[in-house]
Amino acid sequence: MRPIEQFIEIMENKDFAALGQLFTDDGHYCDYCPNGTAQHEYHLYGKEAISMFFRNKFLFRQYSIMEASVLDDRHAEFIASFGGYNIMAIVTLQQLSGDSHIRRLTVRPK
Amino acid sequence: MGVYAITGGSSGIGAKTVELLKAKGQEVINIDLRKCDIEANLAAPEGRQKAIDTLHRLHPEGLDGLICCAGVSGACGNLELIISLNFFGTISIVKGVYDLLKKKGGTCVVTSSNTISQGAARMDLADLLNNNNDDEQRILNVVSKLDGTNLSVGNSVYVATKYAIARWMRRHSATYAANKVRINAVAPGNVHTAMTATMSANAKMALNALPIPTKYGTETLMDPEEIASVIVFLSSHEAKGVNGNVMFVDGGTDALLNTEKVY
Repeated sequence: MRPIEQFIEIMENKDFAALGQLFTDDGHYCDYCPNGTAQHEYHLYGKEAISMFFRNKFLFRQYSIMEASVLDDRHAEFIASFGGYNIMAIVTLQQLSGDSHIRRLTVRPK
Repeated sequence: MGVYAITGGSSGIGAKTVELLKAKGQEVINIDLRKCDIEANLAAPEGRQKAIDTLHRLHPEGLDGLICCAGVSGACGNLELIISLNFFGTISIVKGVYDLLKKKGGTCVVTSSNTISQGAARMDLADLLNNNNDDEQRILNVVSKLDGTNLSVGNSVYVATKYAIARWMRRHSATYAANKVRINAVAPGNVHTAMTATMSANAKMALNALPIPTKYGTETLMDPEEIASVIVFLSSHEAKGVNGNVMFVDGGTDALLNTEKVY
């Protein structure tokens, strides 16, 4: 399974532990979509932070994705729900390590 | 040796703060419901007045510090108690002994919560508390109409009180400091207490979804001493330059969930 497909599957399953493991030790998760919801952007550095952060978001139902579609090896789009506020988003795997872990991922409004 | 008054000093963070202050040779007067120096129910106006009057009688020369730890959680099932103890039980004591603190250039530390940055507060309630705090009974009447059996409602009321405490402290900090009284707040994360040790599996799951980076991989909560030691620091001469500060003592939970909030 390609990293982009793994990412989508993990997000749909709300598997915060597996999400962290997709990233390199210093991997960067950057989501600009919350700007449209009166929240701050997500800037998470390191797989532990990514895992802990989404543990919180998933359990308290503050973040989920739906209607996902993989576009190519690096891109997918989905509807991101920020506690019920939906935004059409596009995720890009900006940088991957040699062993296919994510170094930098961005999510932007589509 | 200084004289410090503390509310809620019989258990949890308060008890550990008493222990640390005494270890430094300070005299500590504990105001609580039991196992204390002044027995007073700070949820009730008459209890607050009793505590204030007793402190004036015991130490008319003034206080070096006041530390407010008394409070209940959002899961206590009594919304009015959350309001009357957490918020009014705190600000009434601070206002009531402000003259004693001024006499000795004392310090004050109030207890907020790191939940104030997580967007769960009933902000209408926080606004009522901050802007209409001479009208406790009417606010209690409003709260009494809410569903006290709903945990999320209890939490939203709890967070509102903690938000209002922090904002009340900020609003008063400049004038207090100009009168030689420093006032600050601590905002603890989830702390290990007797209550958290016996909570249900679902409640534990919710707690663990507020990850504490310094406890990563351990599923443990903050130790009361980690909070108490910061309270003691804020109460000390070493913190003489700190005023009006809401200090998050949560092992980094707030930073994790709000990386973009730097002020």
